[in-house]
Amino acid sequence: MRQAKGAAVDVVGLTKVFGEGETRVEALRGIDMTIAPGEFVAVMGASGSGKSTLLHVIGGLEPPTDGDVRIDGRSLRELNDDELTVLRRRRIGFVFQAFNLLQVLTAAENVALPLVIDGVAESEAHARARAALDRVALADRSAHLPGELSGGEQQRVAIARAVVTNPVLLLVDEPTGNLDSRTGEKVMALLRSLADDHGQTVLMVTHDAGDAAMADRLARLRDGVVADEQSLPAGRDAHELLGEDLS
Amino acid sequence: MSVRQALLGLLAGGARHGYELRAAYEGRLVPQGRLNIGQVYTTLERLERDGLVQHERVVGTDGHGRDRKVYALTPEGHAELHTWLAEPSPVRLDLRNEVFLKIVLARRIEGVDARGVVDRERRAAFERLHEVTQARARAEDASLEDDLLLDLAALRLQAFLKWLDHCEEKLS
Repeated sequence: MRQAKGAAVDVVGLTKVFGEGETRVEALRGIDMTIAPGEFVAVMGASGSGKSTLLHVIGGLEPPTDGDVRIDGRSLRELNDDELTVLRRRRIGFVFQAFNLLQVLTAAENVALPLVIDGVAESEAHARARAALDRVALADRSAHLPGELSGGEQQRVAIARAVVTNPVLLLVDEPTGNLDSRTGEKVMALLRSLADDHGQTVLMVTHDAGDAAMADRLARLRDGVVADEQSLPAGRDAHELLGEDLS
Repeated sequence: MSVRQALLGLLAGGARHGYELRAAYEGRLVPQGRLNIGQVYTTLERLERDGLVQHERVVGTDGHGRDRKVYALTPEGHAELHTWLAEPSPVRLDLRNEVFLKIVLARRIEGVDARGVVDRERRAAFERLHEVTQARARAEDASLEDDLLLDLAALRLQAFLKWLDHCEEKLS
C-alpha cells in the first residue's frame, strides 16, 4: 500500500458505505489525500458530497468501509477501540460548527478538559490551558463561562481546547457556520495563524468559499470522490493588490 | 467613476492645486485610478466654466518660483456635490461578462466542455480570493478605505464563485 513519507495525514482508497440494499449510500467512493505537516487544507463540496463523512472517518469517529487513514504514520485500521480513543484525545483536535463547549465549566476548564481526562496533573493541565487561551487571545476570559462569551469567543475557546494537546491534526467542521461574517473572519485568521506561526496541520470542511480561500490547498468533493484539487499560491499584500490595475 | 465629482469632493476638504488633487485621487480615493495632470486641469476648467470652482493664483509657490493655481469650491459647487451625495448612483447590473460568453459559446462549439470552462474559471477565481482573503487577514493596520475595498473584492469574488456553482448545476 502506498504511504507518503512524513505526511501528517495519509488517506488511501477510502470508502464509506452506509446502510444496505435500498438504503445503501456510498458516501465516500475512493478518496486519496495526503496532507503535509503544517499544511492547511480545505475540503469543499455541496451537501451530500461526502465532506462531513470524510472528516468523521479521518478523525476516527466513524470506521472506514475500505481503505485506510494514517495519522502521523499510524494506521487507524490497526488500532483497537481503546487505542483509537487515545489517538483521538491526544493526536487529533476537533472544532465543530456548534462549538460544543460544556456550559457549566469555565473557558479555562473547558480547554483543560482533554488533558484532565488524559490524566495530566491538574496544575500542568491548567498552565497549558492558559497558554492555549493566550494563543487564541482570550487569556483575559479564562474564568468566564461559555454563556458569558460571544459566539466568536466561544469558537476561539473551542479552538484552544482543540490545540491544547498539541495535536498532529486539527479537524475543523464549518467553523464559521454559527458566526456573523466579521467574527467568522477573525476565527479564520486565527486558524490561518495556527498553521503559519505554529505549524499546525489543519483539515477544514466548509461550504463557504471565503473560508476555503484561506487554505493552502483546496479539494473539491463531488459524489464521494475528489473531483478537483488546487494549490493556492502565496498572496501579495493589500497595498500591492489594491494598487494593481484591474481595468 | 466620475472624475468631476471626485475633484469636487476633494475640494470640499479645502483649496488645493492640480498636483495635490491628482495625488489624493490616485492615492486614496480611486486605488486603481490613473489620472494624468492634463485630465485634472481639463476637468477643473470645465468646473470653473460651470461656476462650481474658482481659482486663485498664488505667486511663486510651485517650487520653481512660478505661480500656481489653487482651486476652491464655490457655493454652487458645494450644492452640486451635496446633490450628488444625496442621490443614489445608477445601479448597474454589469452583465458584460467574459466567462458568461465563454460558457455560452462552449455549449455551442463541438468538442468543448462547458463544465471544463466553469472548473478552470473557478480555480482562477479561488486563487484571486485566496490573495484577497490573505491580504485582509494580514492587513491589520490597513486604512478603513483599504479595508472596505478588500471587502468589496472578496464579496464580489464569492458571489462570482457562487454563480459558477449555479452554472455547473444547471449545465449538468
